[in-house]
Amino acid sequence: MADKPVLTLRDLSIEFPTPQGVVQAVKALDLTIDQGRRVGFIGESGSGKTTTALAVMQMLAEPGRVSSGKIDLAGTDVLALGEEDMRKTRLSRIAYIPQGAMNSLNPVMRVEPQLWDGIIAHEGKLDRAELKRRSDKALASVGLPAHTADLFPHELSGGMKQRVCIALGIILDPELIIADEPTSALDVVTQRQVMQTLKDIQAQIGSALILIGHDMGLMAQSVDELAVLRNGELVEHGTVQQIIENPQHPYTKDLISSVPLVGGESFLNPDRAAPAPQRASAEPLLRFENVRKDYGAVTALHPMSFTLQGDTPQIISIVGQSGSGKSTMGSIMLGFNPPSQGRVLYEGQDVQKMSATQSLDFRKNVQAVFQDPYACFNPFYRVNHALKFPFKRFGLAQSDAHTLKAMEEACEAVGLDPDLVLPRYPHQLSGGQRQRLIVARALMLSPKLLIADEPVSMVDASLRASILSNIYDLKDKFGISILYITHDLATAYHVSDYVMVLFKGHVVEAGPPKEVIGAPQHPYTKLLIDAIPWPDLHRSWGDGRADWDPTALEAEAARTAAVYRGDVAGFDLVRPQGAFA
Amino acid sequence: MTDTPLTRAEKRQAKRIRRFDNPWLNPKLIWGAGLLIAIVAMGLLGRVFWDPDLVFTGSAQLKLPPLGFENLRGQSGIMSNPLGTDGGGRDMLALIIIGAPNTLFVGLLASLIGMSIGIFLGFSAGFVGGRTDDVIRVLADVMITIPPLLILVVFQTAYGDVSLTMMALLIAGFVWQSPTRLIRAQVLSMKQSGYVQMAQLSGASTGHIMFREMLPNLVPYLFGSFIASVTTSIVTAVGLEVLGLGPQRIPTLGRTIYEAINAGALIQNLWWWWGIPTLLLGIIFIGLLLINLGLDEVSNPRLRRLS
Repeated sequence: MADKPVLTLRDLSIEFPTPQGVVQAVKALDLTIDQGRRVGFIGESGSGKTTTALAVMQMLAEPGRVSSGKIDLAGTDVLALGEEDMRKTRLSRIAYIPQGAMNSLNPVMRVEPQLWDGIIAHEGKLDRAELKRRSDKALASVGLPAHTADLFPHELSGGMKQRVCIALGIILDPELIIADEPTSALDVVTQRQVMQTLKDIQAQIGSALILIGHDMGLMAQSVDELAVLRNGELVEHGTVQQIIENPQHPYTKDLISSVPLVGGESFLNPDRAAPAPQRASAEPLLRFENVRKDYGAVTALHPMSFTLQGDTPQIISIVGQSGSGKSTMGSIMLGFNPPSQGRVLYEGQDVQKMSATQSLDFRKNVQAVFQDPYACFNPFYRVNHALKFPFKRFGLAQSDAHTLKAMEEACEAVGLDPDLVLPRYPHQLSGGQRQRLIVARALMLSPKLLIADEPVSMVDASLRASILSNIYDLKDKFGISILYITHDLATAYHVSDYVMVLFKGHVVEAGPPKEVIGAPQHPYTKLLIDAIPWPDLHRSWGDGRADWDPTALEAEAARTAAVYRGDVAGFDLVRPQGAFA
Repeated sequence: MTDTPLTRAEKRQAKRIRRFDNPWLNPKLIWGAGLLIAIVAMGLLGRVFWDPDLVFTGSAQLKLPPLGFENLRGQSGIMSNPLGTDGGGRDMLALIIIGAPNTLFVGLLASLIGMSIGIFLGFSAGFVGGRTDDVIRVLADVMITIPPLLILVVFQTAYGDVSLTMMALLIAGFVWQSPTRLIRAQVLSMKQSGYVQMAQLSGASTGHIMFREMLPNLVPYLFGSFIASVTTSIVTAVGLEVLGLGPQRIPTLGRTIYEAINAGALIQNLWWWWGIPTLLLGIIFIGLLLINLGLDEVSNPRLRRLS
């Protein structure tokens, strides 16, 4: 029975009529999915991967419609099913695990009745003991303790909620599971756990799995076959082995090469430009003196001291999971968030106690690139406002023509066409274009320090490398020291001169990237690196090894003292005595 | 008409697109504004083309019907009082020429003052935060729970005769709460937004952030809230006047209705006495409602339809 197709898509086309004309979301797609196989749909946003999955469920959003083709689910013609038959087919035969599982659970219902809902809708009223037995079994199968059943969704962590959603999906043993970016909102460690769960349960009930995603590394570690979609067309389909090792289509090659590897080839431009301009001040550029930050009873950042000299431009990376205190550090440095204890000194001046002129000078010289490029532009103004205003405000503009010229040069430096981009409103630009504009803005001001807080995490994978190399080029060209805050160890490995790994507000490992990330010693760093999915088939990642237990590893990490791996000139991290309290 | 290059359907499509591009060309907005402008125009032109002195008692015969109708005494309407007269011999047309703009004036002034207080307090609460925020928030919440008419009745009875401006000031004390809360909430969420952080990074002053970065994005909300509070203010003002409170010597629509009820106009079948002011109030409210609906579509693009 192993090779009986569960799902056959024949010549499937889906279209969306809009006022501007009919948009072809999926074009003549042919695909067969066999029983027990895991198939990945990979492509950028708008490539039609989710639309295809929704069509299989007959759940296309209005006004989308299947314009031609056939969908065959193990002998059933899905498109011929009526409303009631389709309702019965959903969940019992095809389960869908949605993208934002965080928001897919009913916040006012406990987990257990939500699991029962599906059973009751398909099999009618069953007695309570039977329902309980089945829901407990489903929860156990996704590795959740039995008491989870009595909790409300807000009492669960993101990873647990995602696993509850998986339990919901598999409770009726479907023939096909569709998981739509099930881990896109989770950090790497949780992602690995959830994917492991999903693969286990899929193997157990022997169903087929469609995994939708955009991360080639995750795909390589999770699926058997890959379908690469682009603009609604299937550009390549084959086993993971074939596609990773011998990609045919240039787009597939792009997707694979856009995933940065630790130790792999660098995506950066190696030739270094002229030496940095000399700084006027003898004081270190930035100095943390015993800085601590508490939010209520929680300490987000434990006392930390370091000095960034800033004479030679450097990139210091701060890596960690969400909640590690890395973004808190960023906002403390920018003076947005006063530290609970200690001082932050910029060229010898306390950031929190500056006069108006000092503050203006500080703002000019310490700039930032934030995570969310969509929020960084005021929707009321054209995007050139964001570039023009600070330029004039800091007294850099000599005339309007000079401002315009500076804006155009900055845009060209980050690879944007100024005539096309500058006179637009923010909503008319893509996320990548906006993020580049923010980089261009920083470039125009030529600051001494740039704080880049997850600058590429919300940008399509294919653009990440180019935006990062834009930032990297700034360092040498304009002599800017950069603090790069990220959860992505692979990019930190390539761009940085010094890496600090943050875990629950403590530095656990610090040193040059080749040592810290290339050969980690602290258990937490190892855990983080193990959890990253690479497009490397020989690495065992989510193979369901039971001995990979992040909770135990984190507990071990909390007991282990920080590891310091050598220094670089110009950055001095003060090592606290008796690392952990 | 045959040589026009566009067919009617094409023209309609082009109009729709234009409306989509420029949301202010909204038919609801235009109609609503038109109704209110008509009331104001009536007040202005009426003073020129009609004799405003006819609002005084005894300036005409008593209880005359509008043109083309007969009253219970068998008198028919005459040209010199086209909308009839009331029980005191005041000309109805002169009454509404003076009264309707007065009513609108009280509403607009009250909500203008209320909105200004609201913008000030809302920005203070949202921006300063801490203790200031607590005080303003609690104050606004308490004020929302107090029925304004109750307090105003007490106030007005104590004051006796008040001017229109005084009345507007009193009402303004009860329409600032909802704008305050609305603006506070918006400012709080905007304060966290990326573009405000970017402006801070750009060395922007607090004033710049408030008025150049935040306020423009608040404009649709402010307009909507303004119109809503004009409605509330007029309802409150008319409510007081119908109770016989408020300005005693200045004609307003509410006062006219009060006098009509007081003089037994309902029993005597003097429908024009209370009916005409009520109709005008209706027109004002419909105008405000249409403006509000129109503004809703302007500020919320999802309500805009292309087809």
